[in-house]
Amino acid sequence: MATLRRLREVPRHLLVCEKSNFGHDKSRHRHLVETHYYNYRVSFLIPECGILSKELKDLVMGFGPYYFVKGLPLYELITHEFINTFVKKGSCYALTYNTNIDEDNTVALLPNGKLILSLDKDTYEETGLQGRPSQYSGRKTMRFSAEGSTMMSYFSGYGIQEHQPKIALSTTPDLRCPVLRSGLLGGEPEAACSAHELFDWLGAVFSHADLNNEPYNFVSTCCCPQPSSVVAQASLCSVTGFLLPERICVLLEQLCRYFDEPKLAPWVTLSVQGFADSPVSWRESEHGFQKGGEHLYNFVIFNNRDYWLQMAVGADDDCPP
Amino acid sequence: MPAPATSYERIVYKNPSEYHYMKVHLEFQDGGVGLTAAQFKQLLISALKDLFGEVDAALPLDVLTYEEKTLSAILRICSSGLVKLWSSLTLLGSYKGKNCAFRVIQVSPFLLALSGNSRELVLN
Repeated sequence: MATLRRLREVPRHLLVCEKSNFGHDKSRHRHLVETHYYNYRVSFLIPECGILSKELKDLVMGFGPYYFVKGLPLYELITHEFINTFVKKGSCYALTYNTNIDEDNTVALLPNGKLILSLDKDTYEETGLQGRPSQYSGRKTMRFSAEGSTMMSYFSGYGIQEHQPKIALSTTPDLRCPVLRSGLLGGEPEAACSAHELFDWLGAVFSHADLNNEPYNFVSTCCCPQPSSVVAQASLCSVTGFLLPERICVLLEQLCRYFDEPKLAPWVTLSVQGFADSPVSWRESEHGFQKGGEHLYNFVIFNNRDYWLQMAVGADDDCPP
Repeated sequence: MPAPATSYERIVYKNPSEYHYMKVHLEFQDGGVGLTAAQFKQLLISALKDLFGEVDAALPLDVLTYEEKTLSAILRICSSGLVKLWSSLTLLGSYKGKNCAFRVIQVSPFLLALSGNSRELVLN
């Protein structure tokens, strides 16, 4: 019986769904974006939109650059010169590259100046530092993001490269979209889809899955949640790289302003995916990689400034704040 | 006219996903083998049947995306069938007499998480 039970076991995962309005004094949207430090992919979807506005395009192009430093000894991050040049100015983020959080030593520098070290047992004992065991069980190459030309000259002694985020823009014709009502987070049968259904649907759209399958189709029966409606076209945009929360905040604000003029679209979405091998998810909550390492969030922005926020984490994560 | 502002509400769902999603890639030892989407799905079903029998071969399984050129796919399986599907893929060793293996690239209960893979970020 125990074997049968194990065969049907599902790794624990959490989905937090919130609804609020950007105009509310206590709205936490800004804080939640700003404290999700290590972001790999940002995507947004705008129904009934064929061409992005100049403001949105400029924002998307303005996400970079970030810097890749090879062979950087960790002590360089705790020198007075580095701290005075970058850390004290704020907005300096760093993360080890090509280190798997469940196998390797990983280091992250938070914008508040804290250095997080996720170490295996041998390395931890060698360092002699005082820490605590991971909740869930080097000379490294590092990714940085900080003030541009200063970074290039500061680390010129090491192999430093500047990188720009990759951008993908596309338009999808005849997209079937779920019908949503901002006040109905849990949905209502035959009236509106739930936040969870929207979240799954968005995943299908960005994975380019076919959503027009019949129930008897052999290969796939996946379809759009009901009720739904078809939009003539939708704009999709994705940016991948080492992306700063500050830029994501600005993008969120611009998407809120999308509805300053009347639009056909009832809502737009903004999705952000964190690095699977980041040692933290939100704030300083420990993040681990059990089977997926996912920590992501999604905004649904309605035309009356209401919003939904979905935050999703996997097995080795605390509940999102 | 836009609706009036909504009130704050927060719901925490534990294990809400009835499906899990897997990004997989089928690799042949000697290459050069083509499968249609239907053949690919049939291969998955026969892998489940070989290990777990007829009942589990009928688990709700969908091939959401399939790229014939690279033999890559995103699969959707009911959550209670994840371990069975994954173990079936692990133990599948051949197709029509040709040696092959499934590589599992990503797994998540959230399909949106599969639209990007930070472990594939190449900076060198």
